[in-house]
Amino acid sequence: MTDVQDRAGRAHVVLPARSAPALRTRLARAALLVLALVGFAGCLRLADVDPVELAQGLPTMAGWIGAAIPPSTEAIPTLLVRAAETVAIAVVGTVFAVVLALPLCVLAARSTTPSGWVRIPVRLFLNGLRGVDAFVFALLFVAAVGLGPFAGVLGIALHTWGSMGKLFSESIEALPAGPLEAAELTGAGRVKTSSYTLLPDVLPSISSIGLYLLEFNIRASTVLGVVGAGGIGQELKNSVDLLAFDRLATILVVILVMVTAVDQLSARLRKALA
Amino acid sequence: MSAALSLRGLSHAYAGVPVLRSIDLDVAPREVVAVVGPSGAGKTTLFRCLTRLVRADEGVLEVCGKDLMRLEGGALREARRDLGLVFQSYNLVRRLTALQNVLVGRLAEVPTWRVVLRRFPDAEQQLAAACLDQVGLLAHAHTRADRLSGGQQQRVAIARVLASRARVVLADEPVASLDPASAQSVLTALRSLATDHGKAVVCSLHQVDLVAGFADRVVGLRDGRVVLDVPASRFDASAARDLYAPHRAKV
Repeated sequence: MTDVQDRAGRAHVVLPARSAPALRTRLARAALLVLALVGFAGCLRLADVDPVELAQGLPTMAGWIGAAIPPSTEAIPTLLVRAAETVAIAVVGTVFAVVLALPLCVLAARSTTPSGWVRIPVRLFLNGLRGVDAFVFALLFVAAVGLGPFAGVLGIALHTWGSMGKLFSESIEALPAGPLEAAELTGAGRVKTSSYTLLPDVLPSISSIGLYLLEFNIRASTVLGVVGAGGIGQELKNSVDLLAFDRLATILVVILVMVTAVDQLSARLRKALA
Repeated sequence: MSAALSLRGLSHAYAGVPVLRSIDLDVAPREVVAVVGPSGAGKTTLFRCLTRLVRADEGVLEVCGKDLMRLEGGALREARRDLGLVFQSYNLVRRLTALQNVLVGRLAEVPTWRVVLRRFPDAEQQLAAACLDQVGLLAHAHTRADRLSGGQQQRVAIARVLASRARVVLADEPVASLDPASAQSVLTALRSLATDHGKAVVCSLHQVDLVAGFADRVVGLRDGRVVLDVPASRFDASAARDLYAPHRAKV
């Protein structure tokens, strides 16, 4: 460091001038900015954004807050059971997704499945699952298997299968290829080489992904009840429909406590894995 | 004695630029050949072609009597089992123990369910332990690979080759990222693969001063050609200067 400072002190260093961007580049940048602004204005319009209506609605909402205080306590035991149901939907759905995603992630990763004939259809399938929200799946399953948490479990499981398969396969691809290559040279088959050399090194990251998705699914499960797929969301919808704001306030607190507790726990576990 | 590894006219080009020009080389069992030469001489390409990670454009590449250039699929996989690789980056499974890493060399011999459950037969574990003992790491058998030093990891990799069926060992810059003492212990272990276990060893080296006391023969590569093939005793400072000098002059 002192070396450089000495030299800079003695010899006069001329910083080469940075050439200004060409006119074309500057015009292109300006056009891009205008385009972005126009696009956003269009979005505002399509989304019916109207500050006046918000202002007019405020007193009504203030009235709700008044009605919500004090929150009701008489429903707490029921709500806790419903909250437990929500956690159960997320846990069971996530575990099902892990079981489904593990075999497919190997088929979706380039390092373990070089053939595009298998890998690309598997990827498309996983992307398709990921593209449909758990909420939408739950809506369909309520029609198929009836109202209740099982429809929620199926919805969570299917959507998470897609996300998990994709993330798991990406963490397999992120592993160095060397240990696998060394094992392949012994002539051993693919099941042996990949289970023995990849699994140990990929385990921490897939556990971490599993926990992260569990966290995400607990939040997603809180609204599943709105479509009749069980959990605390059902109570939420009932309270809004009945304008029972004191009960609604209690529900929101229960959700907040539940989600925070799970996030904290999962963050701690993931830290321990890292 | 017939050669364990035999190259005739091995040539390879990348995008029309010749990298290897008609390489001839024979390596006998128990022999250690050091491959030296300036950067860009083709050492790395030579090693990639030797394992057929890259298929050379033309030539003969015989490993234990089988021409790898003419084999495909299952036959190639079978023939490659005679090759053992030692990499610059060790390539161990980080979260497995030293012993479990040595057992990688035995994967082909063990039933799939045992591999998946990591329940190797006692005989295989004994064999792997003996291999670790050979490289002086028996005490670290149950240490996780990522807790070992670089030199120790490389010696585990050598034990892994020892445990496998490999008869020709290819080591591409095995000591490039090691301190001198660790480098010496790794080269001693490689040397013993040839002396005590009859394997043919081909090893590329960056530091020419490591050749003495390690290799039997030195092969010098420059611009994709073998320009030097002498007993290690005749590879002295002036030979090394000649090998590296013209390249520097060009720069």
